[in-house]
Amino acid sequence: MKRHMIVLLILSLFLTGCWDKRELNELAITVAMGIDKVEDEFQLTAQVVVPSEVSMKQSSGRSPVTLFQAKGETVYEALRKMTISSPRKIYPGHLRMLVIGEELAQEGIGESLELLSRDWELRSDFYVVVAKDKTAAEILNVSTPIESIPANKMFNTLKTSENSWSATKGITLDDLISDLISDGQNPVLSGIYITGNEESGSSKQNVESITPSAQILYDYLAVFNKDKLVGWLTERESIGYNYITNSIKTTVTSVSCPEKGKASIEVIQFKSDMKGKINKGEPEVDVNIQVEGNVGSVECHINLKEPVTIEELEKIYEKEVKESIDQTIETAQKQYKTDIFGFGQAIHRSNPKTWKKIKEQWDEKFTDMVVNVEVDLKLRRTGTVNKSFLKSLQE
Amino acid sequence: MRFFKRKNTKKSISAIPSQYQAVDPIQKDALKTSLQENIQTIKYTLGASTDIVFREIRIGKEGSINAGIIYTDGLTDTTSLQEFILETLMLDIKEVELQKKITTGENLISLLKDLALKVGEIKEVTTLELLYNGLLSGDTVLLIDGYAQGLLISNKQWVERGVTEPVAQTVVRGPREGFSENLRVNTALIRRKIKDPNLWMESKIIGTRTKTNIEIMYINGVANDKIVKELHLRLDRIEIDGILESGNIEELIEDDAYSPFPTIFNTERPDVVAAALLEGRIAILVDGTPFVLIVPALFVQFFQASEDYYQRADISSFIRLLRFGSFGISLLAPALFIAITTFHQTMLPPALLISLTAQREGVPFPAFFEALLMELTFEILREAGVRMPRSIGSAMSIVGAFVIGTAAVEAGVISAAMVIIVSITAIASFVSPTYDIAIAVRLLRFGFMGLAATFGLFGITVGLIALILHLCSIRSFGIPYMSPLAPFNISDQKDTFIRLPKWKMFTRPRLINQQNIVRQQDSTSAKPQPPKNEE
Repeated sequence: MKRHMIVLLILSLFLTGCWDKRELNELAITVAMGIDKVEDEFQLTAQVVVPSEVSMKQSSGRSPVTLFQAKGETVYEALRKMTISSPRKIYPGHLRMLVIGEELAQEGIGESLELLSRDWELRSDFYVVVAKDKTAAEILNVSTPIESIPANKMFNTLKTSENSWSATKGITLDDLISDLISDGQNPVLSGIYITGNEESGSSKQNVESITPSAQILYDYLAVFNKDKLVGWLTERESIGYNYITNSIKTTVTSVSCPEKGKASIEVIQFKSDMKGKINKGEPEVDVNIQVEGNVGSVECHINLKEPVTIEELEKIYEKEVKESIDQTIETAQKQYKTDIFGFGQAIHRSNPKTWKKIKEQWDEKFTDMVVNVEVDLKLRRTGTVNKSFLKSLQE
Repeated sequence: MRFFKRKNTKKSISAIPSQYQAVDPIQKDALKTSLQENIQTIKYTLGASTDIVFREIRIGKEGSINAGIIYTDGLTDTTSLQEFILETLMLDIKEVELQKKITTGENLISLLKDLALKVGEIKEVTTLELLYNGLLSGDTVLLIDGYAQGLLISNKQWVERGVTEPVAQTVVRGPREGFSENLRVNTALIRRKIKDPNLWMESKIIGTRTKTNIEIMYINGVANDKIVKELHLRLDRIEIDGILESGNIEELIEDDAYSPFPTIFNTERPDVVAAALLEGRIAILVDGTPFVLIVPALFVQFFQASEDYYQRADISSFIRLLRFGSFGISLLAPALFIAITTFHQTMLPPALLISLTAQREGVPFPAFFEALLMELTFEILREAGVRMPRSIGSAMSIVGAFVIGTAAVEAGVISAAMVIIVSITAIASFVSPTYDIAIAVRLLRFGFMGLAATFGLFGITVGLIALILHLCSIRSFGIPYMSPLAPFNISDQKDTFIRLPKWKMFTRPRLINQQNIVRQQDSTSAKPQPPKNEE
């Protein structure tokens, strides 16, 4: 009898199984999500993959992704409500991009992120970006060449540009939340916008021509104070921001030659060190930037064989970069009054006791604190030619 | 409730056969002195079977002594019967022995045996039982009127398959001979490899009706005595009417009857048996089958092919790791696929997920059912391939390839990814050098698929834990099945997942062999070296 019961109990285990089973073709694989604020409600846009269109074999020429939209008082409500238009349940496990509408960003993004950080299905390795001058829905409504899934294009573009141009910054949900909750650091997000004729952006024709009539691109970093968007950095300032926060991998910077003309320096090794200190009771931060670079191109008449020329180039670069960094700091201090660099954290690390005292007035302290920037460039290689052919061209 | 009661009824069933098994009382009878009476009894018992030949002759100087020759047609070499038995009896001894018999009063039977018959193996028999045993295994019986004794003259010969290349266990490099159905040929094949006086054979006859000859073979002083004794005990316990293949023996003496894993190794290669004997294992040879049993058998042994030891050590180690990997694949691949695609989609890279989803578009079945369908189709094809006549094999493989591969996918019934998974599983299951471990996995695979479909990876993990617990709990003739992994033995790792070069293997497996563990002395000279420069 006892064994009988055990067998029954084991068999009953199998009856409970399968409840959270989902076949692959019951999923609406959502690769990008957009959140906007429309009339006090969250408007959620989901970019869902149409699998048969993505695979090479079965493709019949329809769009590889489709959009579903729903409104709700909370993001979660909107997400579930989406099933009224979607044939399958939204599956956000493979989300690549989260686009936040500019309007919502100005009002504050905190509430809308709560679900995304809580839900178990989401991996938090997707990038968060802000739609500049547009709603998130409009951004998600543009078809893209090369990468047929627009979310992948956004993801990869951000990744490559972050690595090799460094005016953007890929920030995942984890980074964003950690920036939001830490004292003495305010978040930035990359901005995304559309150029060209966005009316035709959503149609398949957009990608059928060589030059798409509408394109998505990144530029500018969005500056936040707490969770509210306060403004944008220019491209130059964005690079400056990345210089300060040690988030440059490689980039190319053009510098003026001693005489007229331009040269460009390719950054190959980069390290930036931020140290806080208290000088006469006032917080101060030293930013020490060490760069190794190559001479990328020389579009002026200098002789790279001379060590003096190299030194001169280094000096110019150091000066120009320092200027642009100072410019960035000034913008943050004077214009936006928000510590996006994490100077507060640097103070917190070096002088925890003082930090506790000044923590409350940090916003004011930040605006007129002294930041000492030092840039040190070492040029390593000059490429395969010593003397630019431009010189012979003129003679 | 009935299911559980069966245990009790079982006992009473096992009690019954002993009545039937009791040997026919007639057979126990001793031979009579009267030749006619003996022949009548034999004819009566054998039911006048047409292959038994009775030949009555008269021998002696005046032909005064009646004698009878009985043999089984087809099992006896008739040429030697004529030349060495009939000719001797009827011509050669006419003069000699009668006088002797009269003068000395000696027994004519032992006289013939000792002086006259020019045959190697002759036995005296006094009971009918032994007489039948000899007669039906091909011996010639000689009975003489007036003696309650008979002679069993061994001149067996029958048609048999010669020593051919093994079919089930092939190698690229290594001996090409395989065992045949003849027990003596098989023992000879092993003798030829190990010419050690300590290679002992002990024979048994099992099966009340088939009277199958069985040889237990081991190297005395190397094999573990306790295991030899245990093996004898287990073999003696068998009371059955017939043994037709070593598989029958295997089932009757194995340690864990309900385990899907084999605890007795079998092979049709003499070199494998020889290697096992040298390691201290014991071989059981059964007459009538080329498959020789080897005990004790360990889990890792089923992943070791004889070729591993003939090839270079590095490639052998790699291939052996590959086999363990394939074992894992053939056990888990469909289950993992089901679990990941129905429960843990998050684990897949986005591009792969989209590609898999695209393939599944329009597939009507859930992944589990799809996998089950494909696995069953494969099992059917496989079974058909084994059973059907060779000549239509190619026809079936074409149909099989079309059914499984192309048509099912094109019709959208099955997703292409599933075909890939099932094919990989099938191919991986063929990698194991022994068939036994591959078929153990066949059934377990379905179990894991069921677990995966109900509980996902969690179910697979629980299943694996249960499987490992089971594997660690079973023993083969007292040796833990998972040794040398559990219990762990560092010195036996030389020949487990990898194989070290021969010059690094100094000892026999530790647990099998408790005595005489050294295989190679002098560890410094074992490694081959170029000659040193002498100046």
